[in-house]
Amino acid sequence: MNAIMIVELKKHLQDKGLAFWMLILPILFTILFISVFTTGDNEAVNQEIIQSIVPGYIVMFVFFIMISMVQVFIKDRNKGMTARLASTPLKSYYYLLGKWLPFTFIVIIQIVVLFLFGKVVYDVSLGQPIILLILSLFITFTVTAIGLAMALTVNTENMGIAITQIIALGGAMLSGLWMPLEMMPVFMQTIAHFLPQYWAHQSFQDAMAGTTQVPELLQTLGVLFAIGAAAFIIAIIRYPYFLKRAVK
Amino acid sequence: MLTINNVTKHYDKTEALKGVSITIPGGTCYGLVGPNGAGKSTLIKMITSIIRDYEGKIEFNEKRITDKTKQKLGYVPQDIILEEDISAFSNLQLFGRLYNVKGNSLNQRIKEVLALIGLSERSKDKVSAFSGGMKRRLNIGCALMHNPDLIIMDEPTVGIDPQSRKYIFKMIEDLKTAGKTVIYASHYMEEVEKLCDYVAFLDRGEMIENGAISELLQQYAVPSIYVKGSGIPQDKLEQYGTVSQEEGAFILYTEEALAAMEHIISYCRENRLDVERMELVHPRLEDVFFRLTGSNLRD
Repeated sequence: MNAIMIVELKKHLQDKGLAFWMLILPILFTILFISVFTTGDNEAVNQEIIQSIVPGYIVMFVFFIMISMVQVFIKDRNKGMTARLASTPLKSYYYLLGKWLPFTFIVIIQIVVLFLFGKVVYDVSLGQPIILLILSLFITFTVTAIGLAMALTVNTENMGIAITQIIALGGAMLSGLWMPLEMMPVFMQTIAHFLPQYWAHQSFQDAMAGTTQVPELLQTLGVLFAIGAAAFIIAIIRYPYFLKRAVK
Repeated sequence: MLTINNVTKHYDKTEALKGVSITIPGGTCYGLVGPNGAGKSTLIKMITSIIRDYEGKIEFNEKRITDKTKQKLGYVPQDIILEEDISAFSNLQLFGRLYNVKGNSLNQRIKEVLALIGLSERSKDKVSAFSGGMKRRLNIGCALMHNPDLIIMDEPTVGIDPQSRKYIFKMIEDLKTAGKTVIYASHYMEEVEKLCDYVAFLDRGEMIENGAISELLQQYAVPSIYVKGSGIPQDKLEQYGTVSQEEGAFILYTEEALAAMEHIISYCRENRLDVERMELVHPRLEDVFFRLTGSNLRD
């Protein structure tokens, strides 16, 4: 499994496209949107907006890892690497883990870098850093599990990219990452409660403000874990079909 | 020794392999020959346990193929399957690690394999910058990282330059000298004839014949004479054997090739017929396949 992980990490580190999607684009969006929405004179309001935009864009952009996940698995399947590895003593589930784990590292690094960017450039408060870290680990699990399920289910890269856009952008809009949830219709506010982006965003904001309550934190972690676990189970169910298709 | 015992594989309603049985002696080079779709790649995927759901039994040294047995098998796939975005060194490292080659042994083995495939100078270059022939050689190198006893090669010379082809032939000769068993699937009959000791002919999922190449040539192939000239009557040639025409020339298949040649030369001299070219053609593996199936491999 380590052999696969090392190669994947090497490839990801060299991938400029991944760096653009995961770091440069979210930073550009954060700068752009903060400059647009903080034109007022009230410093307190401006800081409140910043405290919402920074975690909002972090949550939105972590979902873009799913594009890379789909590309890696589909490419491996189509070019025959999955079948080639089946001829080695590598156990098939180690292949899955070896491919999946590097993406979790990338997402954690992405979240840390984007929070540090917010801290250094906009002086956002990171009131409860340990809770922020725990939340980051859970959202990482959720996102990469959804990515894994999708990568093992879709037939083509294009289909994966299209679904990612719907999940990332649609989820961001419905979860109040672009504008305060209170400004949206009631039915959309209800839908938000079924989306991981909403729970992650709310809890990130609470932890940044240092106002996290343990029951609320546990609720968020529970929701994120449940969604991640469900996605992971789908991935495990889909995996034999993926392998079968790969060896044909 | 690899034993393939009565294996059958279905893809939905299509029968890709029908009760194929082959015994491959250790330390030999064994050719698998057949046209596209004959079942060669399917059989190879079964040997390497990429395909696991099939009927029948495949054993290596009297043991079923398991993760432990796979440690002794090296597989060179038909397609070039490499990580293009990393170096040749890293690709070899990957495959070495997959077979539990570690530490100093891994680095030492990478050096050896790089020398064997002639890529020592390019080891740090990304594979995407390599030519097709270099990729083919690296494809083989990856299968040799764990120094396997049995190397299974599926069309390893498809689409490469003569220089790389020669290099690959030399590698196979070296593997044979080192006592390794090689399975060589190809539809290039002349390659199989040059490299292999034994051959199995597959056609439409069935094994139609197998055995030592020298014996099959003796058993099935008939020597022939190539005759090109003006005014030579076909019925005269038919006195000595079967005749076919090829681009304005006759091909005469006969067991008594030398005697037939003498008679034809005398006949032509007596009748003042102009002979442009006359040649004794030794039987080839291609002729055996033709004799067995009634069709050429590339038909």
